[in-house]
This record gives sequence, structure tokens and C-alpha cells, in this order.
Amino acid sequence: MKAYMTRHAQVFMRTLGDFARSPAPTLMTIILIGLTLALPTGLYVGLVNLQRLSQGWQPRGSLSVYLKRGGADDEAVAAIRRVPGVAAVRYISPAQGLREFKRASGLGPMGLFGRRNPLPGVAIVAPARPGPRSVARLAAQLKTLPDVAHVQSNLVWVERLDAALALGRRLVAILAATLGLALVLILANTTRATVASRATEIAVVRLVGGTNAFIRRPFLYIGALTGGLGALCALMVLEAGLVALEGPVAALDRAYGAHYRLSGLGLEQALALLALGASLGWLGARIAVARALRRGEA
Amino acid sequence: MIELRHVFKRYPLGTEALSDVGFSLDKGEMAFLTGPSGAGKSTVLKLICLLERPTRGQITVNGHDLGRLPARRLPYFRREIGVVFQDNRLLNERTVFDNVALPLVVAGMTGDEVRKRVLAALDKVGLRGRERGFPLALSGGEQQRVGIARALVHRPPVLIADEPTGNLDAALSDDIIDLFREFNDHGVTVLVATHDLRQIERLKKRVIRLGAGHMLGAA
Repeated sequence: MKAYMTRHAQVFMRTLGDFARSPAPTLMTIILIGLTLALPTGLYVGLVNLQRLSQGWQPRGSLSVYLKRGGADDEAVAAIRRVPGVAAVRYISPAQGLREFKRASGLGPMGLFGRRNPLPGVAIVAPARPGPRSVARLAAQLKTLPDVAHVQSNLVWVERLDAALALGRRLVAILAATLGLALVLILANTTRATVASRATEIAVVRLVGGTNAFIRRPFLYIGALTGGLGALCALMVLEAGLVALEGPVAALDRAYGAHYRLSGLGLEQALALLALGASLGWLGARIAVARALRRGEA
Repeated sequence: MIELRHVFKRYPLGTEALSDVGFSLDKGEMAFLTGPSGAGKSTVLKLICLLERPTRGQITVNGHDLGRLPARRLPYFRREIGVVFQDNRLLNERTVFDNVALPLVVAGMTGDEVRKRVLAALDKVGLRGRERGFPLALSGGEQQRVGIARALVHRPPVLIADEPTGNLDAALSDDIIDLFREFNDHGVTVLVATHDLRQIERLKKRVIRLGAGHMLGAA
């Protein structure tokens, strides 16, 4: 086992030496891989941020129940509370609603409504079961109550946003798969060129009894290392992008009075990206070397 | 140790390189394989190393019937043979030490044992102290010696050499062939392909003659 590990360590060190001997083409390949990986990863990070932002907006499927004017609001609210599936009810009286409206709209000082209050009483209902179907069912039940004028679900736009995010996630997956394949092909092509430039060495190693695994090993290291460093480059591009967006997001924050910070990939996701880059590099190299080895068999 | 029976070799473009070639070498024997250019000497050596497969016929080397040897056993079979080429086929970007160590590394050997064996092999070919140099810094004769050290470092029972003195002057050629004789004296079976008649006459070893892919005789 020790000898096996020593051999691997020797091959790995030799691979690093090969990297150092031809830094320019290696660096260009790494940057190319970095940019290829940065695109779907960046989109993924964008979607995750959008999702986090939208979660902050979601009213968890609450319903606004507008009561008929002139009715007994307390009785109506009591009837609403008795409906199965209602978890909590917050009542906003017409006077309270007007006050809030005047404050939020800035129209209060203009005396626009005079002494007349056109607003109805509103009951904000929190459903016991969140989710579009149960909320829709509850809304239908509430509409049948005699003192209820109108029921408005706050879920519609959230559903639309969720659908858009799901579409975005699917697009990112397709893009990632396509660019992953491109990455494998890039690395297969790079490795094929490296194998061709080392044809003499491979022939000699074969001649002295080198197995295919022995011949393959340094190329697999090159592939994995190039892919891994490409993924590292993608992470750096991503971080640079997030830093560049920090200013505009902060300005937007101030304008809306919100408190939101852009977040990048977590440690686990970053490690997963590095592992993915290395694996794709390994795969590309394996494909290229397998073809070369098949051609050289006696 | 080496036996060829009714061996034919036709290359894909239709060139008949060997036609009904047969000879045998006993364990510990040394022989010269000779003939003019295009006689098929190199093809015979390639068949023995399994760099090529015969179109027809049977080849047995060190107890292995090469026709029945599966591809996955090929590397392990090659570790039983040392091969020296006219152009020595050294890896110029690797040190002399690394070149000679290659068969040992390939066989999974590491550390002190490799160092000990490489230095012993370089000592045998008179290149002790040059292990840190690179092949291109050596003379033609020295490069050939490195090639011989590499061929013998893993102590194979069979040594094959294809025109090993082709690029060397007479004195250096004598040195190289004397090295082969020395290894043969230690029990290594040696087959040297050459058209250097002076060496053949000097050593008085067995001679296998080829001409246009046919056996002309084995004396």
C-alpha cells in the first residue's frame, strides 16, 4: 500500500512539474474551463439569491377577507374563526385600515376622504395548511359566508414566481449539462494533444512493460488537476462578480429599505464544484487516453 | 528460450516481411541475427517483443507461447525482456537515473531498491557518476550504454538488441558488444541484430542469416 501511494505521489509531483514547464497553454485551458463553469454556476447563484429574496416576501399563503360594509364585523370574524382550516385571524377595522392607508400613501394631510371612510373591515386569515390547493379550498369556503364580500389570495404572484424559478432551475441544469459535456470535450482534446506530444515516452514505457494503468495515470492527474483548477478559477470569477454587484445591491437595498445581502456558494457547494471540475477533467482525460492506448496495442 | 516456428509476417499494405522463418536459441545462448537492410531482422525482433504479431506461425519466448498470450499479460511479458535499439530511445527530458529506473518504476519498485539497482546497472556500463546528467549531454556511445543499462536493470533473462552499434565507431562498437558478451557470460540469453560482420567474426558466436524475409541459414 505504501509503495502504491508513493508511486501515485511521484506521478502527481511529476504532473505538477509538467504543469510548471508549460504554464501558458495550461493556464489558458484552466481559464477556459473556469469561464465555462462560471456561467451555469453564476446563474445558479443568481437563482438561489432570487429564491431567498422571494422567500422573504412570501406571506405564507395568507388570505385577505373583505367584509360587507354595514354588517357586524365582530360576528363575521367569529364566523371566519369557526371555519375549519383557519389557523389565525387578524382583524383590521375600517378606521385602522384608513389610518394605515393614509400613512402609507402620504395622502392623509390632503384630507382627501373627508369624514367618510370608504374602506371595509378586513380579516387577514392564516390557513392551517399552507400550499396552493388547501389555500384555494379555504378561500372558496370563506366566500360562502354571508358577511364576506370578497376573498383575495396572496398566493398567485408567489406561484408565478415559483414557476419562473423552477423554469430557471431547469434552464441552469440544461446549461450545466451542456457546458459540462463541452468541458469534457475540451479536456479530452487537450489530453489528446498531450498524449500525441508524448508518443515516444508512451512507446518506451510500453516497451519496458508499463501497463495501461501506468501509462494512463499521469494523464488522469493532468485532467483532474486542470479541471479542478478550472473550477477554482470559476469560483474566483463568481466571487469577483459578487463583489462587483455588492454596490448596486446595497443601493437597491437603501432605496427599498430592505436588508438583503448577496450570497455566493457555501463551503460545501464550492467543494462540490471543485470535485465536479476535477471529475469532468478526469473523465475527459480518460476518454482521450483510452483511444490513444487502443491505437497503440499490438 | 526463444523459438520461432514457420513464422510469416505480412504488413497491412501487403509487404511480406517474413516468410517461413524458424530458429531457436537455448537458455543462456548468444546469437547474431544478420542480413542486409530489409532482410527482416527488425521484424523478427519486434515479433519477439510482441510489438507486432505474426500473420502465421508460432513464437515461444521464455516459456510463453506468444500467440496465446492475452493483451492484459503483455506488459508483464515485456518485463522479462530487455530491449536495446540503434537510436537507444532515451527520454531526453529525464535524467540518466530516471531513464534507467523506468523499468523498475513500471514494475512497482520504489525507494532504495531502485537507487541501488540503477547505480549498479550504471556501474556495469561504466557510467557511474553520470546519473544526474541528461541524455543529450552524453556522447552517442554513452547514450547507448544508458540504453543497455535500462534494458538490463530489471535483470531480464532475455536481451534483444536491434543494430546497437549502428551509429558508433569501431572502438565504441567493440565496447558495446563486449558488454553484451559479459551479460551473456552471466546467463542472459542475447540476440543481437546487426550487419556488422567485424563483430560477428570477432566474437565467434552463432549466426542466424536472413535475406528478403527468408531464412538463409543458422550456423
